[in-house]
Amino acid sequence: MGNQSKLIEPKNLPESLIDLERKTVSPRVFSDPEVHQMEQERIFTRCWLYVAHESQLPNPGDFVAGFMGEEPVIVCRGPDRQIHVFLNTCRHRGMLVCRVEEGNAKFFRCPYHGWTYDLEGKLTGVPDYRKAYHGDLEREQWPLLQAPKVSSYHGLIFACLDEHAVTLDEYLGDFRWYLDLQFNRTESGMMTLPGTHKWTLKANWKFAAEQFGGDNYHTMWAHESGVRTSIAQQFGGEHPWTNDWEAKTKEGHGWINFAFADPPGIAEVVGPYTAWLREQARNRLTPTQIEQIGCVHVGTVFPNFSILSFLGFLSVRVWNPRGPTRLDAWSWGMVERDAPPQMVKLARDIQIRTFSPAGIFEQDDGEMWSYCTEASGGAYRRRFPLNYQMGAGHERADADRPGLIHPPPTEIGVFGFWERWRRQMAGQKADKERP
Amino acid sequence: MDRAGLRPQFEDLLYREAWLLDHDRLEEWLDLLSDNIHYWAPVRADMNRGKEDLTAPLRLAFFDDNKDGLRLRVARIRTGAAHADEPPSRVRHLITNVQVMEARDADTVKAASNFMVFKSRRNREENLFVGCREDTWRREGGAWKLEERMILLDHNVIENITVLF
Repeated sequence: MGNQSKLIEPKNLPESLIDLERKTVSPRVFSDPEVHQMEQERIFTRCWLYVAHESQLPNPGDFVAGFMGEEPVIVCRGPDRQIHVFLNTCRHRGMLVCRVEEGNAKFFRCPYHGWTYDLEGKLTGVPDYRKAYHGDLEREQWPLLQAPKVSSYHGLIFACLDEHAVTLDEYLGDFRWYLDLQFNRTESGMMTLPGTHKWTLKANWKFAAEQFGGDNYHTMWAHESGVRTSIAQQFGGEHPWTNDWEAKTKEGHGWINFAFADPPGIAEVVGPYTAWLREQARNRLTPTQIEQIGCVHVGTVFPNFSILSFLGFLSVRVWNPRGPTRLDAWSWGMVERDAPPQMVKLARDIQIRTFSPAGIFEQDDGEMWSYCTEASGGAYRRRFPLNYQMGAGHERADADRPGLIHPPPTEIGVFGFWERWRRQMAGQKADKERP
Repeated sequence: MDRAGLRPQFEDLLYREAWLLDHDRLEEWLDLLSDNIHYWAPVRADMNRGKEDLTAPLRLAFFDDNKDGLRLRVARIRTGAAHADEPPSRVRHLITNVQVMEARDADTVKAASNFMVFKSRRNREENLFVGCREDTWRREGGAWKLEERMILLDHNVIENITVLF
């Protein structure tokens, strides 16, 4: 199977880049402009993408502006409390109709010529409608474009630009079990802290997405400096299969789970919090799920939504492409609404110190993803595949946990991302084709 | 106190501090900090005029460190395995617009300054970090120690931050 140097035939592009038997990936996927263009069509306009958390939009008119892949969007709670996801672009000349990141709006007005849309997207205001358009403009034909599908899972709002897509529940599929053990622990659920970490790297977005979907192998190396100075413990290995395991689901979503000893000075806050969470979750989760509370959790929902949690903090993030070799990362902090104040403060502080653009772990990931992108993009290097063989064939089905699992380190989840990528890029209905 | 009269003294102090950071004398830099230091850089956002609430409770930040946190950052660099800064970046702090804002008493001074921090790394990786700092310096045992620093970065989406401000 190929990593041909010939020009790519769009017809067999995905098949030529991912070798399912040998478990290899062509470096082209990380730098090729044609691949990037095809991803915009076949992934970012067809998959469910994370856009916001419900706690960011408590009231009618509340909005946040962000991106679905490379497309600017506005996520807005309408007067009827329904959440709409609008493309942030005027129907007249395409200008942004919203240029701030969050707020409360009564309408969205394009600054260029004043076309004005209500909170359901309807075009309600056209300057000089009678004089200039002679009343001929069919205003009802020109609403803001909006995602045809918007749905929430435990407060996580996803949107999809494909009206024929499967439901969000089907899309998340078996991975809901994993999301549940992070997002369905308490009656009140989670909320987003104010502010967003936003950073940019000269890297392909998929280096980040695949890593969160199942690369625990890098932790002791890429993060050696942070581990040695701040954590001083191994990442996963002492409780194989029970607490230390990784999972991939048939939808191509991946999860990393491993036990983590709370360090002194932090254990006094995190320990009772974990016990409280387990109690709260007793009627909401299975015993196997409850057993994982307090572990490190890392995961990716295909394509570009990831989570990361340890010591009580939770970062949820999106990896948005900006061309083939530029990534914009947006990360939010989330806490249980009912968490004690000292736990909320601790979670925020740990997230800032470890996994923010200046974080002692995040910095090193940025270095890796940037120079993986640069160093693997050459014409000669691209003829030779990248190796994703770790653990292949040794994963197991498990009675209590959906998907296939294996203790870390393994790359079953990382390659699961690529299996899904290949199906998605081939235009197949990935969610329904497999048992 | 005479605010303008204090300025040369604080210019000297801030230039000295920048020199330590630029010359990898991070342990000496730590010595300039009070044991009670609060070192803080809020995240930014595009908001309507006057609506960016930098001091909102629990707002995320690029930095929110005490002395232990800053010691940890230095110790991490000293492992030799802090890959985002190995081989070391070439860093230059340009400090300008120094103002003594308030001299509450002979031992407590609030000073503001602007910065441009240039970082050159590997072959062609170049970053510029621009912003201002609002400091509180306190005299402890005859020496000025930095007790509070708010770093206001003029960036919304920012590059990998491997430098101190």
